Amino acid sequence: MLRSGGLSPTDPLVARRRGNARLAAAVAGALALLAFLGRSSDPAAQRLNPEAPLTLGAALALTGNANLYGQDQRMGISLAQGWLEAQPHPRRVALQLEDGASDEPSAIAAFNLLIRRGVIALIGPTLSQQAFAADPIAQRQGVPVVAPSNTAKGIPQIGSFISRVSAQSSVIAPLSIDEALRREPTTRRVAVFFAQDDAYSTAKTAIFQKVLAARGLKPVSIQRTQLADNDFQNPITAALQQRPQLVVISAQAMDGGNLIRQLRELGYRGQIVVGNGLNTPNIYPICQRWCDGVLIAQAYSPELNTPVNLAFRRLFAEANQGRTPGQIAAQAWTAYQVVFEAIQRVQKRGGFEGLTLGEARQQLMKELLSGRYDTPLGPIRFRPDGEVVQGRFYVAKVRMDSTGRNGRFTLVREQELPEGTP
Amino acid sequence: MIDTLLQTLLNGAASGGVYALVALGYTLIFSVLGVINFAQGALFSLGGYLTYLLLGGKIGVNGALPGWGLPIELPFWLALLLAALGSGAVGLLVERIAFAPLRRRGAEPLLSLITSLGAGVVLVNLLQLLMGAEGYAFPQAAAGLAHLPESLLLGGARIRTIQVLLLVISALAVASLSLWLERSRSGKAMRAVAEDPTTATLLGINSVAVVRLAFLLSGMLAGLGGGLIGMSVSLAGPYFGISYGLKGLAVLVLGGLGSVPGAIVGGLVMGLAEALIPSEASGWRDALAFAILFAVLVLRPSGLLGRRQLEKV
Amino acid sequence: MIDNGLLVQMILGALLGLSVYLPMAAGQLSLATPAFYAVGGTLAALLSTQGNAQSAISLWAVLGEMLLAGCLTAGLALLVGLPVLRLRGIYLAIATIALVEIVRVAILNLPFTGGAAGIFGIPQPFQKPFGYVLFSGALLAVCGWLFQRLEASRLGRSMAAIRDDELASRCMGIHTTRVKLTAFLASAVLAGITGVIAAHYLNTWNARQGSFDVAITTLAFVILGGSRSWLGPVIGGLLLTALPELLRPVGDLRLVLFGLVILLGPVFFPQGLITPALLERLGRWKP
Repeated sequence: MLRSGGLSPTDPLVARRRGNARLAAAVAGALALLAFLGRSSDPAAQRLNPEAPLTLGAALALTGNANLYGQDQRMGISLAQGWLEAQPHPRRVALQLEDGASDEPSAIAAFNLLIRRGVIALIGPTLSQQAFAADPIAQRQGVPVVAPSNTAKGIPQIGSFISRVSAQSSVIAPLSIDEALRREPTTRRVAVFFAQDDAYSTAKTAIFQKVLAARGLKPVSIQRTQLADNDFQNPITAALQQRPQLVVISAQAMDGGNLIRQLRELGYRGQIVVGNGLNTPNIYPICQRWCDGVLIAQAYSPELNTPVNLAFRRLFAEANQGRTPGQIAAQAWTAYQVVFEAIQRVQKRGGFEGLTLGEARQQLMKELLSGRYDTPLGPIRFRPDGEVVQGRFYVAKVRMDSTGRNGRFTLVREQELPEGTP
Repeated sequence: MIDTLLQTLLNGAASGGVYALVALGYTLIFSVLGVINFAQGALFSLGGYLTYLLLGGKIGVNGALPGWGLPIELPFWLALLLAALGSGAVGLLVERIAFAPLRRRGAEPLLSLITSLGAGVVLVNLLQLLMGAEGYAFPQAAAGLAHLPESLLLGGARIRTIQVLLLVISALAVASLSLWLERSRSGKAMRAVAEDPTTATLLGINSVAVVRLAFLLSGMLAGLGGGLIGMSVSLAGPYFGISYGLKGLAVLVLGGLGSVPGAIVGGLVMGLAEALIPSEASGWRDALAFAILFAVLVLRPSGLLGRRQLEKV
Repeated sequence: MIDNGLLVQMILGALLGLSVYLPMAAGQLSLATPAFYAVGGTLAALLSTQGNAQSAISLWAVLGEMLLAGCLTAGLALLVGLPVLRLRGIYLAIATIALVEIVRVAILNLPFTGGAAGIFGIPQPFQKPFGYVLFSGALLAVCGWLFQRLEASRLGRSMAAIRDDELASRCMGIHTTRVKLTAFLASAVLAGITGVIAAHYLNTWNARQGSFDVAITTLAFVILGGSRSWLGPVIGGLLLTALPELLRPVGDLRLVLFGLVILLGPVFFPQGLITPALLERLGRWKP
């Protein structure tokens, strides 16, 4: 291999090198062509066709490890779509659903794809980390985004086109802690568990711990877990050695459900308070009869007795073998409903006439933020920065039936927040 | 103090047993072929889902056939055995598609890292299409555990009954596997191929059959592990086997690539090391496993109990 | 079909493929690329979000970050490379996977890297993806030129000799440790500066960016593209990054198909798409 000098033109090494250079030139040419062809990426300057339906894009995690949420969201959005189509509406709306997967590059690709196809607004992405990647792209191109499930701090602050219907946990957390303390006023010893590799859970636990500190309670044990963990023998036995009277968990459905089950099996009998990552019927099959009695702070309560929520519950049950919907599906429904209603309001007053797509997006964003909506989450509206203002929050207790495989969230407390406080 | 120590030991044994089971699956294949089967984690998941279906479980609403289930409800033991066989069969299939063609062509062994990973990606995503992403829990009555207490108190330390059961079954599986390798004809053939494939072939051992046997057995081990874990902590989506797969890889190296006792000792050491991490530092747990692995590789590349020498440079 | 945004990701994929290819050209199966990629990305994210929040950053600042990331990753690679490069084959692969996981957990747990949510609001050097295409494309072109030169240089020939037979090449007087370490260092630096561009392009950075999955995906770039010429990983990186996006029309089946490509690609093309024979034929071809 170390031949050098005296190379004839027929030498395979020389030929290979020349072939390499030729192919490299071809690749470079192809890339340049692709770069040129892919330059115009946004039809924002085109005029709207007044007859055509407006397209709404949704980028949800249908694959990857967040797909459980994505599948719930797909359900919520398609139910909302069916329900709203049946109502009288002056402007037709079409939905384009794309897989935003569970990683950042895929979310960006899905957003780019949908924007290029000329959507008027976007719903998604599923994870907060993905939102930090994809939302700035929509912001720069002036496409309204409604996040159905991003709860991390700073999402609406990404820009003027970014909003969310998922209330931040700071509002909800104190309710559930106070409820637990009301039931057991002598509680002194609190153990805290949280999934440390999950943006939602780490934000949530910070708020829980702040509330605990404000109530004069210092956790006797803080346990960090991972989203992909299944076996919690180590953290649980370590926490139980501190004899806690209250356990506060910030986790997602799977790991949280497992954690609750194993806490109970290992003999913990005190109260358990969980964050709203577990506000989904998906936990019933995981923690089964051991779910019973868990206190949960909810941004969505299936028990809410309003026409729209009853419709949502009915449609969800029809599509899902009689199950009750969870928060993720309700928030996805809400995201679709909010955009749909804003579109109809703009259409009614003739606001889309003669506009380009880019101008229509701006109009829609303005309308979106200024409206009030009656959703399955209760009445909501937006702050000027895009943060949701939700009027009602709930504390529920899980009640499992005798089979231990099905249950429901029974409302124990409902709180109306005074107008204006986020 | 004694209680805490006992509890730590117990915790370490409980998770270490599972790690050993996963690592053994890798070990069998590595010992005969010198390659790693990255589809092992997916086979682990598959075993869990098969067990669930054989127990009479129904497919959830996000799956391809919502509400569908096998028309049988087998007892846990039988379901576990059949699921292990099923995973073993798929393990054989993985060998046929991802490994055998490469070996026939004499391609670089490292290509099988990629092909087996591809097989894993296909398997996990097929599972997701069929079963949906939701979690499934096994019916508790199936294992006949309904009449036992949920956890046992052993001298001040507490452990869940199901984990004791899990540990016993893994120990039985590992013991019978070792015995089989030691005593049986095909076990001896497998060890001979692991020792020296060329000589083994000269001695008239059918090395292709031995390789297939290794894939069948390691697939069965993965299926067994998946079913047991599913029983203990339920199935948290099709990806749940993957994290076990990665941890098993660390254990494999820790014990010494290709060494059966090494995999067992490595699993226990890893379980114990994790149990010893104080709560404040529990976020670093996964780094610890790989830091140990890293240190072992650099200081003692043959692993704790490895007997194979590194290629001479 | 392929917009500028996807094209940027494809070019970044090609650069990461080259990073995995470098040690492999010297016969070393190192999967450490995502670790250095993560270090570079984290460094860029930290530096560019210091001080007041701003949406733009000058190109010079990004180049400065790349320089710093290059130095940092080179230092780390030197530290890690000396003990690790004594390992061979699968042992080296596993040790470098361990390195990737350690770096991932460290980024997740360090007090200044934003934990699970990561660092966000990373300022942009370009208004449009086209700027990123030009910038990363230029980097790829420079790399291509360097690699083309490398393969004819003394160092490149030493690497090829080690890959063919390490023992023999040592007998021929090649300082194998130094050559292997050089390749490892260059690979780390390339991954680090790619991480810098990626952090700006992604607007955010977190521990998940450098994971085991990335290690395997980038290895697939090299294996499927071909590991006998630097063009292999480039073409592999470009194609495999685009593939999941191009497969969108098949919907839920797309990851199954992606898996099938990874599974069957090496079976049908054991040498990858770009084989020496193909290049030779191309070189002899006269129009």
